Amino acid sequence: MTGSFWRYTLLIAGKDLRIEGKSREVLYTMGFSAALVVLVFSFALSNATDPAQGPITAAGVLWAATLFTGTVALARVLDRERENEAIRALLLSPAPRAAIYLGKLIAVSLLMIAVEVVLAVIVGGLFSTGVFAHPVWLALVLLLGTLGFASTGVVFSAALLRSRSRDALLGALLFPIVIPVLLAASRATACMFDPLSPDLEPVAFWVRFLAATDVIYISLGLWVFEPVVSGE
Amino acid sequence: MTMVALAYGFIWLAVFAYIFVVGRRLVRLHGELDELRRRIERGKP
Amino acid sequence: MPTTPSSPARNSTRLLVACGVTCLLFLLACLAIAEAPLEKVMGMVQKIFYFHVPCAWLLMLSTLVCAGGSVAYLFRGSERGDRIALSAAELGVLFGMCVLVSGPLWAKAAWGVYWQWEARLTSSLLLWLMLVAYVLARRYGGAAARRLAASLALFAAIDIPLVYFSVRFFRSIHPQTTVVSTLVPGMRGAFWLSLLAFTVLWFVLMSVRLSVENAQARIVELEVLLDQAEENKS
Repeated sequence: MTGSFWRYTLLIAGKDLRIEGKSREVLYTMGFSAALVVLVFSFALSNATDPAQGPITAAGVLWAATLFTGTVALARVLDRERENEAIRALLLSPAPRAAIYLGKLIAVSLLMIAVEVVLAVIVGGLFSTGVFAHPVWLALVLLLGTLGFASTGVVFSAALLRSRSRDALLGALLFPIVIPVLLAASRATACMFDPLSPDLEPVAFWVRFLAATDVIYISLGLWVFEPVVSGE
Repeated sequence: MTMVALAYGFIWLAVFAYIFVVGRRLVRLHGELDELRRRIERGKP
Repeated sequence: MPTTPSSPARNSTRLLVACGVTCLLFLLACLAIAEAPLEKVMGMVQKIFYFHVPCAWLLMLSTLVCAGGSVAYLFRGSERGDRIALSAAELGVLFGMCVLVSGPLWAKAAWGVYWQWEARLTSSLLLWLMLVAYVLARRYGGAAARRLAASLALFAAIDIPLVYFSVRFFRSIHPQTTVVSTLVPGMRGAFWLSLLAFTVLWFVLMSVRLSVENAQARIVELEVLLDQAEENKS
């Protein structure tokens, strides 16, 4: 991967982030939906304010809300390429397919992380949990968990670009695949949020697991993205 | 014994149901193929 | 490349022979299962094992074949690979359903619960869900369905060891893989015969299901020929 490869990657990521900066569509729609999902969970689960169980439940709710609404970010970032056949122009450009994939991955991940930070604050309030007790570990888990979700999501979302049933299918296809990411991220987050947890050794384990999963998923995504989008 | 019967019964039922559905589809497709071949033969000079 | 089916008569004969062999194998397997000694602790309910484990094996086999066909389709444009992948995915859904029904029935009798969120059960369920998603994508995914489903199959194949490893850290009630090698001779024979019967059944079903896909591809080719012929006439 040469210098120009990374230049294309950052150009594509920058383009999507600049568009989002102007409209803030994904941030507001995903953010609002995610906040509502957290609210629904906090009403539906009776142990929300329990000091013992609340923090562990909070971790699960944070990641469940992120995954459910992350499909919004995936759909919108790829949807923009559908307008005016922008995807064809992108594919005809000199940018390598892998650079397009990584650019989209970076853009989607940054947008999701921005929403997750706000979500963590909301979750902390509703579930009476100190969410920023270990900020560095939390940042690492948010980053790795989001990358794991988005690395698969970008591939499937690109493949469904022209599909009528995109909205119905994306979640159905994506969720079974990202279960290991959800498992690892929520377990790590629960350990961080739980004030009774003796040490952060489980967090370190799950972070290593997430890192390995991300490497595998991103490698696979780089490999299959080209044949998947070449059908466009 | 009930559980054994249920388990075996379900597996047999599922497999035979699949064979029935696929078999019926195959017969219908072969019928369509034969019809298409006849139409092509008719169209030949 | 146009599909050129071998003569229908020869295909039917081969299929009939294969079906005959499968039926015979299943008859022998069922006799062997009936003759096999009862397990000391679980008794009669343990006999579900002789069908449950082969179905689980076929679920794994179907996933691997689906992934292999998907690689061939995505990277070499192999239409045959795509047809094999779809057929294998459907069989994976069928045998996965058999595992997920027979397993809990056995579990209820043996452990008192229908389900436990432990490694093997969870990874089997998720694998089945991924194959269901593959079939749904092929049916409702539209124009790009085949490429999408192929990429899904690859992620699914990679995902299974990941899921298994991640969930392994929770309490495990499921028997370990070493169970098969510790079977007494009476049980071992019945088990291997049952496994053979199911594997032959899988190949027969794959062959039939592939015939459906090949027939559909042939219909499309003939319709194109017919349209061309009618255009030339007019």
